[in-house]
Amino acid sequence: MTTYLIRRVLGIIPVLLGVTFLVFAINRIVPSNPAVAILGDKGTVESQRQLAEELGLNKPVFFDVEGYRSSGRFGQLFDSQYFKYMGELLTGNLGKSFMTRAPVTDSLKVRFPATMELALFSILIGSTLGIVLGVVAALRRGTWVDTGMLFIAVSGVSFPVFWTAIVLIYLFSVQLGWFPPAGRLNVTSTLQPVTGLFVLDTLLRGQYKLFLDSLHHLVLPAFALGTHAMALIMRMTRSSMLDVLRRDYVRTAASKGVPPLVVVMKHAFRNALVPVVTVMGLSFGSLLSGAILVEAIFNWPGVGSWIFNAITQRDYPVIQGGVLFVAAVFIVLNMLVDLSYVLIDPRIRY
Amino acid sequence: MKRVLLSLLVAFGLLGSAFAQQPGSTLVVGMSILPNTIDSGDANDSNAIAVTRQIVERLVELAPGNEGLVPGLASSWEANADSTEWTFHLLQGVRFHDGTPFNAEAVKFSLDRWNDAANPYHFGAEGKAYVGWRNLFGGFLGDGSAVSEVVVDDEYTVTLKLTRSISFLPSLLAGGYFGFDSPAAVMAAGANYGTPSVGSVGTGPYRFERWEEGSRVVLTANTEYRDGPPPTETVVFVGVSDPTARLAQLKAGALDIAAAISPSDLDSVLSDPNLELVRGEGGLNTSYLAMHQNQKPMDDVRVRQAVAYAVDRVAIVDAFYAGQAVAAEDIIPDSLWGHADGVGAYPYDPAKARELLTEAGYPNGFDTELWYRNSGLEPVIAEAIASYLADVGIRAALKTEDWAAFLADYMAGNFPLYTLGWNADFADPDTFIYTFYGPQAVRRFGWNAPEVVTLTQEARQVPGQAERAALYAQVVTAAHEAMPVLPLAHQSQFFVVRKGVTGLVPNPLGAFPVLAGTSKAQ
Repeated sequence: MTTYLIRRVLGIIPVLLGVTFLVFAINRIVPSNPAVAILGDKGTVESQRQLAEELGLNKPVFFDVEGYRSSGRFGQLFDSQYFKYMGELLTGNLGKSFMTRAPVTDSLKVRFPATMELALFSILIGSTLGIVLGVVAALRRGTWVDTGMLFIAVSGVSFPVFWTAIVLIYLFSVQLGWFPPAGRLNVTSTLQPVTGLFVLDTLLRGQYKLFLDSLHHLVLPAFALGTHAMALIMRMTRSSMLDVLRRDYVRTAASKGVPPLVVVMKHAFRNALVPVVTVMGLSFGSLLSGAILVEAIFNWPGVGSWIFNAITQRDYPVIQGGVLFVAAVFIVLNMLVDLSYVLIDPRIRY
Repeated sequence: MKRVLLSLLVAFGLLGSAFAQQPGSTLVVGMSILPNTIDSGDANDSNAIAVTRQIVERLVELAPGNEGLVPGLASSWEANADSTEWTFHLLQGVRFHDGTPFNAEAVKFSLDRWNDAANPYHFGAEGKAYVGWRNLFGGFLGDGSAVSEVVVDDEYTVTLKLTRSISFLPSLLAGGYFGFDSPAAVMAAGANYGTPSVGSVGTGPYRFERWEEGSRVVLTANTEYRDGPPPTETVVFVGVSDPTARLAQLKAGALDIAAAISPSDLDSVLSDPNLELVRGEGGLNTSYLAMHQNQKPMDDVRVRQAVAYAVDRVAIVDAFYAGQAVAAEDIIPDSLWGHADGVGAYPYDPAKARELLTEAGYPNGFDTELWYRNSGLEPVIAEAIASYLADVGIRAALKTEDWAAFLADYMAGNFPLYTLGWNADFADPDTFIYTFYGPQAVRRFGWNAPEVVTLTQEARQVPGQAERAALYAQVVTAAHEAMPVLPLAHQSQFFVVRKGVTGLVPNPLGAFPVLAGTSKAQ
């Protein structure tokens, strides 16, 4: 177990290095560049060249081969945008946004908890509904209940999330007025953040009205984002449950007189969870990155809309820092999912 | 189970159903995106200027609702005979929000900071780009800038010495970029001035309160404002990039004012009893179809004229703009001067277009590409143009790509045909004439006409409006003949507000208006 853990943690390093390299390369392969984007249609050839120089974009991307050849110094080879960035990265500096001049780490501190909170609530809603409905569907296999669940699952997967989001706003905000259509708190409220997770911070600060307000603001975006995960988890729970219910040990338990509820919950459900947890882990990762549309529609200040805007504006430091961070979180999550198998299924050992 | 869920949902919903009710003295403004910076000199987009306009003020301001000029922080101004020296007499007794007195030194501080790349508060190396200054004044000090020196004559008088004559300098200074910041605040914040953690400090009706990254910028009333405190205590700017979501949030009462609503959504607005359309007159903007002469056969003037005859601009405006635009006669909007007598738009005449194409050697038309931006009305207008072109035999494939790539490609002359729009930077024909037909015409349209470029440069320097008008008439006539670009429409400025919002006057520049007199009924 310990050697496995160490191997997994060490394995993260080359993956993250690969991510920095790829993002760096892709940024430069994509047409256009930050100087063009910043100057907009007022840019002239001269001002674009000048600004690119001010932003340090005139240096070679990976290796300064020219400089090495002419100077003969080996160190010159590494006088490039990539190695300058990596040097800063080692000291924990992700640079400043070209567009807002704000440090990338400052933005991450605000943006990441916002997305995390949204993703956590989405996966909470998605997995609770998904598992419950999935188990019900498996137990009522072949009945109209099962068909109804299938309909919900297909809808959940196939309705595009922006459509679901807009429909939810029109129904629950515009028509019924039950839930706010945007933001994390009422516009006039202020909250001094602690962790950046508003649901937690409001409690830590003892502002219970704001706690309810933040939950209230979470409902629609979390539901919109969670429908897809819910559908996947529901289908996975159903098929995994059906598979387990056919096993010998379930039949044995039932035949020796164990009450049906105990058979389902203890013998079947727990064993059916392994693939479900895998799907939950993967869904959670995709919720983090897939929140872009939901964040844009609900005016949610998360990483998704932030990285998306950065891509449209060719804001390299934000794209690099943001993607690197999301990748790191994704890797850690996957590791946690793998480790959780041990807890769920005693037959699994590392 | 279902019943439990539903009742939970209802109970929870009722718990805080008052979300839409904010105190009457708060205005929530929905824009397409939050600013990149609120350092006005470094701001380069309408969303940033919408916010800075409330905080900082300019020497000269636009009259509310039209393109006239009124005194701002300067009470009067005058130029020498050839408009190379401009003297501004400043208001006395004005203070910045931080208490710093506003005077000639403060004016010099900001002007020097923008103009001089070597100024210690310029922060070019930290990424401040001053795009507005670069573009409107030609560059930085000693490197193309029209301003050679800013002289403090006395505490409330300042003179700008120019390297060349600019007769419309007050119009330039009324542009959204040139709001004056507190020198003390800039010195204290350094390169972080204008970022979310610092904000900005001016003399305007609202002061910066806080900026929550990615969610909102909050401003509060400047109770010491010289014209009296504004009627609204708090103004909140939020960015909602999706136009459908912006409209939905307005309908739900989460926004009071929404900017950048597409004319195609106006039906949905007008049918909602809670919403109102606030419309301005004479928008200073032009949407256009460019024909880049680097791409064959756009290098043939007959082909370009054929395109102009083939497109029914009036029908396009009627079909898509919901009455919020007029078909363009030339590149300059109707409310500005600078047009040429008797030179109007090409009439819609497909027969004439086919004739010209045959003459140019394309009796069966040709294949080409039409590029458009995927936002607002642009896709549908591009489709309409393509179908008019197909009518005369020009088969234009419709293409699009993201804005940053589009920018690079159209400037490199990679698009034979493309549609775009231009918003005036200041209220003077120069912002259209010089932008379209000046030195950048070669790059934008592949139109290489040195004699026309010279005319646009001359017009910048002659002092009198009559002389300038005569030069512009020549430019407009030459452009009409050579047809490097077909002007399509001028759109009027409008906002959609919740019923009860009063005192919002759209400004023809398209810049978001100052909210000094805007309020919402309790």
